[in-house]
Amino acid sequence: MNLLADIWFQVMRHLRTQVRMKIWIFINLIQPIVWLVLFTQVFKSLSDMFTAIPGLGTTSYLQFFAPGVVVMTVMFGSAWAGFGMLHDIDMGILSKMLATPVTRVSIITSRVIASMVVLVIQAIIIFTISVIMGVHIATGVPGVLLSLAMVSMLGLGFAAFSNGLALLLKRPEPLMGVINFFTLPTMFLSSTMMPSELLPGWLDSVRQFNPVDHAVVGVRDLVLRGYIWDDLWRSLLVLAAWAALGITFGTLMFRRSAE
Amino acid sequence: MNIIETSKLTKVFPGDIRAVDEVDFEIKAGEIFGFLGPNGAGKTTTIKMLNTLLQPTSGTAVVVGFDIHKDPAEVRKNIGYVAQDVGVDEHATGRENLTLYGHFYRLDGRTIKQRVKELFELVDLTGQEDRLVSTYSGGMRKRLDIAMGLIHQPQLIFLDEPTVGLDPQTRVHIWDYIINLAKAMGVTIFLTTHYMEEADRLADRVAIMDLGKIMVMGTPDELKRSIGGDVVTLSPCTTVDEECKEFIRRTESALSGKPFVTGTQVTDGKLAVYVNKGESAVPGIMRLLASEGIEVDSLSVSRPSLNDVFLKYTGHTIRAEEGRATTYAEMSRKRTRRLR
Repeated sequence: MNLLADIWFQVMRHLRTQVRMKIWIFINLIQPIVWLVLFTQVFKSLSDMFTAIPGLGTTSYLQFFAPGVVVMTVMFGSAWAGFGMLHDIDMGILSKMLATPVTRVSIITSRVIASMVVLVIQAIIIFTISVIMGVHIATGVPGVLLSLAMVSMLGLGFAAFSNGLALLLKRPEPLMGVINFFTLPTMFLSSTMMPSELLPGWLDSVRQFNPVDHAVVGVRDLVLRGYIWDDLWRSLLVLAAWAALGITFGTLMFRRSAE
Repeated sequence: MNIIETSKLTKVFPGDIRAVDEVDFEIKAGEIFGFLGPNGAGKTTTIKMLNTLLQPTSGTAVVVGFDIHKDPAEVRKNIGYVAQDVGVDEHATGRENLTLYGHFYRLDGRTIKQRVKELFELVDLTGQEDRLVSTYSGGMRKRLDIAMGLIHQPQLIFLDEPTVGLDPQTRVHIWDYIINLAKAMGVTIFLTTHYMEEADRLADRVAIMDLGKIMVMGTPDELKRSIGGDVVTLSPCTTVDEECKEFIRRTESALSGKPFVTGTQVTDGKLAVYVNKGESAVPGIMRLLASEGIEVDSLSVSRPSLNDVFLKYTGHTIRAEEGRATTYAEMSRKRTRRLR
């Protein structure tokens, strides 16, 4: 009970902090629109190639890319979550908290949960904007809900890793470096922007180990093709494992630095 | 009743740095106890062991009746901690900050509301409850910080350097709040400081800490009396160079061992001479120095202050340590020299 209460009150603190940053909200609303508009322009000519891929389910790059934007937004949003923890360390907020009876694990859990709440809202907004721009979602609202479950797990894993790294590295410079090092390549080592059929063979193999790709494949199936359970089960399992891995890492790092 | 009792409390950091070295002391319930020492003396490390943020390397302590090893959770419930850094969330309001801490200490909503009201009054922030802390001044933040450590009405509160980084006027205000809360709430206060006036003004008892050890402990008056009589401070030269040091050495040897001198202590550019009666000692000192051909630039007579106490027991002034970033290794070397 104490644990749940501690998590609740801290999640509220983190969400309040974010809602107070007006620019942050504005940017987060605009960013996915920019991506959707810009990238569909950049990769417009790919649409011609899409006709040669019968299994893809669409010839429109917008239709193809919209699920990728959802996943990208979730990944980038949660990968930087560790900076909040870093701020608390720097300001002495963390050590002050640790001298109270607050449940230890609630400190990192509440941060991860707050990140998830934010990214689920962001995902819903992107789905809505996509539909307004003309994207058709094959599985409708239930498919969107399942998509949200998948990206939540992806985001949970990233947020937990990011918080763990913040506790391990303790400085903004290395944390920024490590996050940059992983996020962009992780996105390109996947079928986020390019159908797997058009990827070189080695990259097509590597993406099997990339949780981002599994999220993209799952969400894209739901948007373009319907319930392809072979893909969906695999995506769900991989993403659950990813989330578990992140939580384990984050918790271990927290224990290590709380002592 | 003792609210803190330590026995051989020790913290050794990697690199064999003995930050706190077999420290023993007791604090009685209801007193204001001051740890006085320069930066790096081991004050914060001591606090962090007592409030369970750090594991001691050896030795132990009983805080508010609970062993810090066996019952850290009980210790945390019954203490308040106000760290040197102001650990308040500036993106939240004062009330939100306090309320969150109320929940951490498992208080119910109604109690929290009541306490928030009382505490804002105590630290004179009434009316500022719902403003974002980012709009607070440094002194206001510190007062909120102190209030956060009191939300659960602890028996004991740790104030680590409560006025560091504040301007002199704000400092005096914070002192008033501290004295006020000791009286109003009957809470035992353990504070650390490197300001002599702060320890002198606030503390019922003072422990002087240097290089991880407690050099001497007592009430400020006891400590000052232990020096005996008055302090005559001689400043024989304007610039501190080799010539000046030689000059001070000569002056010191001329004076030490004389019947009216109870002790001497050299610091950079100055010589403190401890005497029984300042007024009658000065002519004697002047005569002696004149006969040795020593000319003194300036001379002052004063009642002993904690500065003098600090100087006597540590061999250096706290000011000298404050100005430069002294590494622990440097201080360790100094200690080795002093022991030789």
